[in-house]
Amino acid sequence: MRTLRVFLALLFLLALAGCVSVAKVETGEHAVGERMSVTLDSAWNKISAPGQGPEESWTMEGMWVDKLLFYSGIKNDQLMHAEPRAVGSATPPKSYRFRSGMQPDEIVSMFEGMLTRDGSRFTLVKLEPAAFGGLKGFHFEYTLVRKLDNVQLSGLGYGAVSKGELFAIVYMAPRLEFYPRYSPRVEQLCRTALIRDGPAVAKR
Amino acid sequence: MRRRGFLAAGCAYCAALASHAAAQQQWVAPARFTKPDLATDEGGLWAMMDREETRLRRSPFCVRDPQLHDYMQDIACRLAGEHCPDVRVYLVQTPLFNANMAPNGMMQVWTGLMLRVENEAQLAAVLGHEMGHYLARHTVERLRDVKSRSAFGQFLGLFGLAGAVGQLAVLASAFAYSRDQERDADRMGAALMQKAGYDVAEASKVWANLLLEIKARPGGDSAGGPMFATHPPPEEREETLKKIAAAAPGGETGRAKWIEKTHPFVHGWLADEVRRGQHEESIALLTRMLGQAPGPEQAEYAYARGEVYRLRAKNNDLDLALADYQSAVKAGSEPAETYRGLGVIYRQRKQVDDAKSSFARYLEVAPNAPDAPMIKSYLEELST
Repeated sequence: MRTLRVFLALLFLLALAGCVSVAKVETGEHAVGERMSVTLDSAWNKISAPGQGPEESWTMEGMWVDKLLFYSGIKNDQLMHAEPRAVGSATPPKSYRFRSGMQPDEIVSMFEGMLTRDGSRFTLVKLEPAAFGGLKGFHFEYTLVRKLDNVQLSGLGYGAVSKGELFAIVYMAPRLEFYPRYSPRVEQLCRTALIRDGPAVAKR
Repeated sequence: MRRRGFLAAGCAYCAALASHAAAQQQWVAPARFTKPDLATDEGGLWAMMDREETRLRRSPFCVRDPQLHDYMQDIACRLAGEHCPDVRVYLVQTPLFNANMAPNGMMQVWTGLMLRVENEAQLAAVLGHEMGHYLARHTVERLRDVKSRSAFGQFLGLFGLAGAVGQLAVLASAFAYSRDQERDADRMGAALMQKAGYDVAEASKVWANLLLEIKARPGGDSAGGPMFATHPPPEEREETLKKIAAAAPGGETGRAKWIEKTHPFVHGWLADEVRRGQHEESIALLTRMLGQAPGPEQAEYAYARGEVYRLRAKNNDLDLALADYQSAVKAGSEPAETYRGLGVIYRQRKQVDDAKSSFARYLEVAPNAPDAPMIKSYLEELST
């Protein structure tokens, strides 16, 4: 019985290793999606997994610690996350779609809904107008208490809508240690964001 | 012939009522439990729940309002009788309909349940049901049942496809076992309610109200196949509890005290409900609550429904949102955010003066709101 369990655990780990990939993102200019680029002054880790949503996920310490999410060129009525699936007899969790006419407060409400689909608690700390990617956009700060492990996170985000498409960067990390360590770097990264009218030419 | 049939049906109904009443009277709560030996399966379960309770006590999701806690603990004690010292109630901030009680006496009540019940008796119906599970030690029974079934299921798994079908049958029978426990807990809960002096008729209303939300979901009431439902269907529970209540009329609802004690928390619970993003369910819930909300809470419910319509933004939702915001203002004591909602819709509709006055009012009432800088920028934009 024990041997069987160990075998199944190994099989599961192997399957995971084959599914999720981690790639180093070097310093310099990087295209995120077709029309957005950012310039990095330090390296990040890019996480790719099958079935993930339209966002690009980066991290410094691992996705369970800190997350930097890029939403680039999200179109009207496009789903903001992976397709939700019903588990057992439960109804699938709520889906969130971007609408071109959304105002900044509605976009932040959408992120709030997405981040609390697992029962986590979101509190908006600040929402203000801000330049983003060379456009008139918005900036927000928030706290999140993660339902699964009660960890208290802090987060920030920038966003703008260009030609009816959403461009946004959202970051979160544990409040006491990792957020103060990385948020200045994220702020700097967000300031370098550039949203073009046409496809970006920087390396990916 | 028809008269004979009518008499037979009448007698059958009376017999059913009598049997429900007899079952109620026959059931007697057991004496207080002593902590089981750690070496037993029940002892292990208690120890696990003790650890969970320690975690819950420290959880940021645990609502720590002493007055509300004492009020809920009093309701639980009124139901628990001599078991009162063993019952510990925790209110947990989660915007869903749920409560549960562990075998060690830890009872969790979710804030979504608090928002959905209309009076003390309805909360007592749910707490009484959970206490029924506790008093009948259903969790231990279920643990033993699952252990024996999983051993049998693993054995069946050795027989290929036929074994897999057998495993499915074992799983389905485990759920049926769980449904039987739920029915027992409903009956015990009703008996506890009656003994505590609550109106048992309120118990069936809890399920009728929940059904309204389930039916409002996209896809109607397709919340999973009945075979694998761990609980009996709400329709069945509503009917059974109605019959039990008919055999035990009287009792109080505790409505006035309920409103007095929960009023300070309604705004926060409504905000959590709006954030849930399940627009159709929320509209069904808020429409029901608006129909019977006391004067001071009318504005809160109207504002919350307006927010849900605004965020859903389908068809004529913005018109409905405007109407709700305006009725919140008319009712008085409206939340500051009502003016933000009005301003956002007027701005979208290019009703510049209305938008400006609504945003200005919002900033006047909530100058330190987290989104105040954004609203100020809207005002500046509208003034140019």
